[in-house]
Amino acid sequence: MRVLVIEDEQRLAQNVARSLREGAGYAVDVASDGEDGLFMAQSNEYDLVILDLMLPKLDGRSVLHRLRQSSSVPVLVLTARDEKESIVALLNTGADDYVLKPFDLGELLARCKALVRRGKGQSLPVLKVGNLEVNTADRSVQRDGKRIELTAMEYRVLEYLAFRAGAVVSKTELLEHLYDFSWERFSNVIEVYISGLRRKLDDTAQARLIHTMRGQGYILRN
Amino acid sequence: MPRVSIQRRLIATVVISQLLLAIGLVGGSVYLNHRLLRRAFDNGLRERAMSVAALVRYSEETPPRLIFEADMVPPPLERDHPDMYQVTTLPGAVVANSPDWARASAFDDAGKNGYGDFNIAGVAYRGLRLQVPIFDREPDVHTNDILVVRYASPLDQVNREVLMAGVYTGIGTAILLLLGVAFAIWGMRRGLQPLAQLANGAALVSPSHWELKPGPEVLNTTELAPLTDAMRRMLDGLERAFNQQRDFVANAAHELKTPVAILKSTLQLLLQRPRTVEQYRAGLEQALADMDRLEKLLHAMLRLARAEQGSAANRELEVIDLADSCQNALDILAPLARERSIGVEITRDGATVACADAEDLRLVWGNLLENAIRYTPVGGVVRVRISSDGERARVEIADDGPGISAADLPHIFERFYRGDSSRTRETGGYGLGLAISKALIEAYGGKISAHSAPQHGTTIVVVLPLAQQPAEPALTLNASAANSAAVPERRS
Repeated sequence: MRVLVIEDEQRLAQNVARSLREGAGYAVDVASDGEDGLFMAQSNEYDLVILDLMLPKLDGRSVLHRLRQSSSVPVLVLTARDEKESIVALLNTGADDYVLKPFDLGELLARCKALVRRGKGQSLPVLKVGNLEVNTADRSVQRDGKRIELTAMEYRVLEYLAFRAGAVVSKTELLEHLYDFSWERFSNVIEVYISGLRRKLDDTAQARLIHTMRGQGYILRN
Repeated sequence: MPRVSIQRRLIATVVISQLLLAIGLVGGSVYLNHRLLRRAFDNGLRERAMSVAALVRYSEETPPRLIFEADMVPPPLERDHPDMYQVTTLPGAVVANSPDWARASAFDDAGKNGYGDFNIAGVAYRGLRLQVPIFDREPDVHTNDILVVRYASPLDQVNREVLMAGVYTGIGTAILLLLGVAFAIWGMRRGLQPLAQLANGAALVSPSHWELKPGPEVLNTTELAPLTDAMRRMLDGLERAFNQQRDFVANAAHELKTPVAILKSTLQLLLQRPRTVEQYRAGLEQALADMDRLEKLLHAMLRLARAEQGSAANRELEVIDLADSCQNALDILAPLARERSIGVEITRDGATVACADAEDLRLVWGNLLENAIRYTPVGGVVRVRISSDGERARVEIADDGPGISAADLPHIFERFYRGDSSRTRETGGYGLGLAISKALIEAYGGKISAHSAPQHGTTIVVVLPLAQQPAEPALTLNASAANSAAVPERRS
């Protein structure tokens, strides 16, 4: 999953980004003003946008308003104002959720995960494909009741595929959603992770779950 | 202290004054009546005495004898206490006596004509002794005999009349008094009505509704006009102060949220998963650095709060040369100016001095110069011009930075105002520097203003009252050892 944090307060952006990377395994980009943030949100595929309201150049409400004209990405708003009217106005402008500063990082993380889940049409934190269970809350994976240890990157690939279970996911899409700007992207890296996942998940005794659609991408299905 | 009632006091005053007036009136009228009736009584007594005297005649005999026509004596006015009389000749021969004259022995005329009061068995009488010639005389026939008439008449009729007159006057006055008091109470209540209305209006004033609406009767009352005016002025002042405090608290709470959020998230991030000792150390150091920022904001807010409530009175002030003070502030900023290759020129027209606290002024110049240096493009020049017009000192700090937009210009001295927050965030500002400078300058009776046009730089103008004496040594307005020790001396 890939998240955009639009926050001008550098230290806060750093903390939120790090927490999302460490706590949820998300790829995180940071924009430090409204104009950059809007541009990045419009030109990349994000699974979630975290938006501060007090932003230089273009304020958060305008960013939200313009973003909503073309995108349905889940938006979580960070605000210091707790007046009802402003929160109602925010939600009516198209925000999906909000947290008040100073917020609890754990709560922020949980809300982010829930928004990502909802954005993918899932309501439970545990994704099931056949006898495979991907628990997005504690990032654990089980197949047929047995726990499977994955590397962080393998998990991220699997989580994305599980959210899109039954659909063909291209390498480009995986790259778009799993890497932020600070990573170098090589499409053959994906192949390495896929083969690693297959080795750990699809042992010979069971039916294969990850299928390669030649020239199109991968599909996770029973 | 017992509570006092204006209304009761006024009513008591009116009642007492009316009572005094009534007593005076009744007393005066009784006295006058008494005098009038006594005079009438005296005249009547004299007439009756004369008429008794007129009943003495000479007989036809020779030599003539004095005879008294007793049957012609008028009937007594009071049956119970008839008049008494005695008629004698001057030598003392009794001509006539009323039947009970003997009882009138208490009437002591002392041989002189005139009136006298006496009592007979508890009844007040008034007697008269007078000497008259015998009316019925013929000059050639009779000797010129003089009669002495003593006549006494009871006074109770007169006294009763005096009493009755007193009682009637008293009753009339009492009725008038009651009416007057009732009217006074009614009038007083009505007259004091505007006070009650004013109190009702004042009771409606609250922190959410500061306007005093006292009602038309209050506004039309001459005596209450100064009070309502004073109350309105006081409420205006209170409202301003209250709103200022409320805004300050709201602003401060709002501004504190971000640094608190940063610190909190730093610590929570650290706890998010187990880490190595080095990571914990780095995290805690980061938390401390975030804490520093919070502390700086708190410090700035406290400085502002102090500057806003502080006046220059009761403080030890020095006579400060403004150019020196600017130079001191500039010395601290020299590294920043060097880093950005900014030249700062200070020009002065002679010695310009103001009375102020050295630390306060250095803070003001520091804030203004720092802004100017930061917003001037690298390699630019900040110009400081210090002048005076004989009454006021004027300090202009001009930069050739990007200027301030017309929309932001009126607000830049408001606390926590950040026109374009990217600018101030980069510079680590909280939007308090200009607000603190303004509060400090105004505490010294000065003014601060900004003039700017986009792309043409910004000029901040500070006007301060000139110090009276351009003396070198410190001028102590309120000299005390404790005070002078409280002002830190920090020269750089």
